[in-house]
Amino acid sequence: MRGRWGVIAFLAWLAILLAVGLFAGRFYIYITTRIILLSIFAMGYNVLFGRTGLLSFGHASFYAMGAYALALLNLHAIQSPLLGLLVGVLSAALLALIIGFFCVRHTEIYFAMLTLAFGMMVFSLIWNIRSVTGGDDGLYGIMREPISFFGLFEIPLGTDRQFYFLVLVVFAASVWFLRRLARSPFGLILSGIRENDQRMEFAAVNIKNYRLAAFVISGAFAGLAGSLEALLESATSPFMAHWSHSAEPILVTLIGGVGSFAGPLVGSVIFLALREIIERFTENWMLWFGVILLIIIIGFRGGVMGVFSTLTGGDARTSAQGHDDHV
Amino acid sequence: MSDILLQIENLSKRFGMVCTARELNLSFQEGVLTSIIGPNGAGKSTLVNLLSGSLAVDSGRIIFLGRDITRAPIYKRVSMGLGRSFQVVNVFPQLTVFENVEIPVLAYEGKASRFFRALSGEEKAGEEVSAVLEMVGLTPVADLVASKLSHGDQRLLEIGIALASKPRLLFLDEPTAGMNPVERVRILQNIRTLSQRGKTTFVIIEHDMDIVFSLSDRVVVLHRGDIIGDGPPEEIKANAEVREVYLGEEVLE
Repeated sequence: MRGRWGVIAFLAWLAILLAVGLFAGRFYIYITTRIILLSIFAMGYNVLFGRTGLLSFGHASFYAMGAYALALLNLHAIQSPLLGLLVGVLSAALLALIIGFFCVRHTEIYFAMLTLAFGMMVFSLIWNIRSVTGGDDGLYGIMREPISFFGLFEIPLGTDRQFYFLVLVVFAASVWFLRRLARSPFGLILSGIRENDQRMEFAAVNIKNYRLAAFVISGAFAGLAGSLEALLESATSPFMAHWSHSAEPILVTLIGGVGSFAGPLVGSVIFLALREIIERFTENWMLWFGVILLIIIIGFRGGVMGVFSTLTGGDARTSAQGHDDHV
Repeated sequence: MSDILLQIENLSKRFGMVCTARELNLSFQEGVLTSIIGPNGAGKSTLVNLLSGSLAVDSGRIIFLGRDITRAPIYKRVSMGLGRSFQVVNVFPQLTVFENVEIPVLAYEGKASRFFRALSGEEKAGEEVSAVLEMVGLTPVADLVASKLSHGDQRLLEIGIALASKPRLLFLDEPTAGMNPVERVRILQNIRTLSQRGKTTFVIIEHDMDIVFSLSDRVVVLHRGDIIGDGPPEEIKANAEVREVYLGEEVLE
């Protein structure tokens, strides 16, 4: 389960996703797009949660910030999708910087409660400033214009299938970036903060700055996922910012395995696929989903990836490097 | 060799009614290997915690390399060259031994915030880590996860992490506690060698009198937050007050 196998497994996953994009019907393309968006949200979130051990309940607000920033730009000024994504990511990062500045001074339950409080404030702002955000209706009518390269040639995004390939490229780039991050000096420092934050200060590391950096990076990925959703749905919803939405990356990370680089990705697939299946049989999907979650969390410590790596003889929590190398 | 590294002026700390540091005045000179001794509750650990920044002082000043660091945060003190190790094992349990030492090395070299470079590409840092591991004798277990080490090896790693920040002045809090005799000799030998090389000045907080008297150039005796003795080992051995409160029968034989 060392590095090479991780890369191979990831390339295999990309090949499957590519096949879905080429051959699957509209419904499966839509569901797979949602899975990829949740993967981006959760893998970014895991930079904070899995690496530094900080549990945030406020990342839905960065998700919504990305979506609303893209929507406002798209509705009032420029429709360029790439520029929209960039603005979405930067706005989310800026919001994360401001909120994170106040939150990273605290840890554990105080940190979690502060992020929850900020998240509720953002939700209520979006809900109440109707003139800008559309209140409970959200913003709609977002245009998915083609990506234009200086007028030379254009890549259309009009259909969900065309848009799917943009999402796929963004996903591959995100994973590549996050993997580099995990294996960099910065990534090691974050692991050290999770392991022993007190000792970290005695290694001459200003841990608040690193916590804040991890917070902003995870917020930026939340914003990326959010702005992609705004493009996918051509609309935003205030519930993107709801605190219950902040729980989603936590859930999928716990399902997939918090100690594993690919855990959030695996968790996203299981979470959305299960939900889709259960919803067909019963309206009370939350009840059944809760039962399945209980089984996974109590029975599979370390998530699905943790069990997987135990079966294949690896130790899910060996070291910073080993830890990234699990698929 | 007589530059003053650290100076403490009228340092005080109380916990409720208990005074654990009472108007302490001390200075530590470069190259002078100092031991701080005293019975349990004498204020040794409190003193180290005050100097390293784990505890806030009630009054007084701490001056390191000519700068007032009384209220400086921990990471700043360490980056200035004031380090410490811990009495209890305080490492990064799920990281490898190599990574444990790599963290302070990266921080020292100013590379800790590089987020887009492969860790394996940091060759200079890697060499430095290997040198530290060699010094404390942990090269054979470099790729093991720290939590899997024996207690003695974890103690060595503890000191390795502290040394990796290249401190000018390093407080070692009971460095040989929990070590077997072989490890103990090794670590004391290292301290002596490093001390003679002169890059790091050591201050040792110790219970073991053999170590204190064989290793130190200077011994400071604390008792209930007061300094009751300060001088070369022979002078301390002969000091009547010290013998009464602390050494007791042990040196009288």
